Amino acid sequence: MLAGLRILIGLVLLASGIEKTLGPYQNFLYVIQAYQMLPGSLENMVAIVLPWVELIVGLFMVLGLWVPLALNATLIVFTMFIVVVGQALLRGLPIDQCGCFGQDIHIAPRVIIVFDSVTLLLTYVLTRNISKTSRFSLDGYFHQ
Amino acid sequence: MSKEKWTLVIIAVVVAAIVVIKYISGAAHVPIDSNAARMEGPASARVQIVEFVDFQCPACAKGYQLLRTYIAKYPKDIRIQLKYFPLYKIHAHAKTSVLYSECAARQGKFWPFVDKLFDRQQQWAPMINVYNAYNDMAKESGIDLTALNVCMATEGTMKPIEGDRQLGNTLAVSSTPTYFINNKMVVGSKSLQEELNTYFTEGK
Repeated sequence: MLAGLRILIGLVLLASGIEKTLGPYQNFLYVIQAYQMLPGSLENMVAIVLPWVELIVGLFMVLGLWVPLALNATLIVFTMFIVVVGQALLRGLPIDQCGCFGQDIHIAPRVIIVFDSVTLLLTYVLTRNISKTSRFSLDGYFHQ
Repeated sequence: MSKEKWTLVIIAVVVAAIVVIKYISGAAHVPIDSNAARMEGPASARVQIVEFVDFQCPACAKGYQLLRTYIAKYPKDIRIQLKYFPLYKIHAHAKTSVLYSECAARQGKFWPFVDKLFDRQQQWAPMINVYNAYNDMAKESGIDLTALNVCMATEGTMKPIEGDRQLGNTLAVSSTPTYFINNKMVVGSKSLQEELNTYFTEGK
């Protein structure tokens, strides 16, 4: 079950990463600008780099490659999402959709922050049960 | 092969796959078509802008005012073409506003009507019924309301609107406002300001 959860969380990151890396980075840059949290030059960098981080971490989670590392990266990514969305909600920024999965999937910030928090909690549970989480993984194959 | 090498191979394959898919789907060229009604500025202008907008989107109104400021200041340097990208799912008046605008265009009154549409967006956007507000703006723009109503009821009016939307989808436009400035994609009014600055303050 824990391995299934690992794969599921990985798929979420993977889907989000693929959608953003395949599209023009300017679309995600626009989403980042709406959160009004970073200076201009950093916004550009994050718009280009973050989708690739999501993609690679998601892939590692699904394949079960470097599982402890991938879990820690997932914790960092979701903590970051919660901070970014949380500050937007606290400041009352006019954001209708979180922009997390592109423009085709509309999720309100209030909904996504709950989803991110639950995912963060579940990922933490996975980090406390590495051996079960690492079932059906490439890590397991390489350790044989 | 070691785990480290497999990791590198997997990353390389995924990165290569994404790059190839992006390359195949291609950086499409944005055509500036011959629809004079929705075009403003000289053909020889050094800054050619194609903008995809939804008339109910607040950021589009902000971007439009910004563009107007630049056009007033540099009339010979900018040519702008407006394309429809109505967001039907999130804006209740997306369809009505594009229909009115297209019919205004057919009477040669596109820009006066669109100016008013964006100027008064905050007033009409929360309304349930926008017809009276739109008719007032149409009259003030010198539009013949009888001809406009006929145009609105004509099936073919939607054709150029859907054509623009389809073009936007092909160009990976996913939100509004999206601009193509000399074929470079720019999304949102903040990026628009930054890009225009590079042309008009740095002497690009």
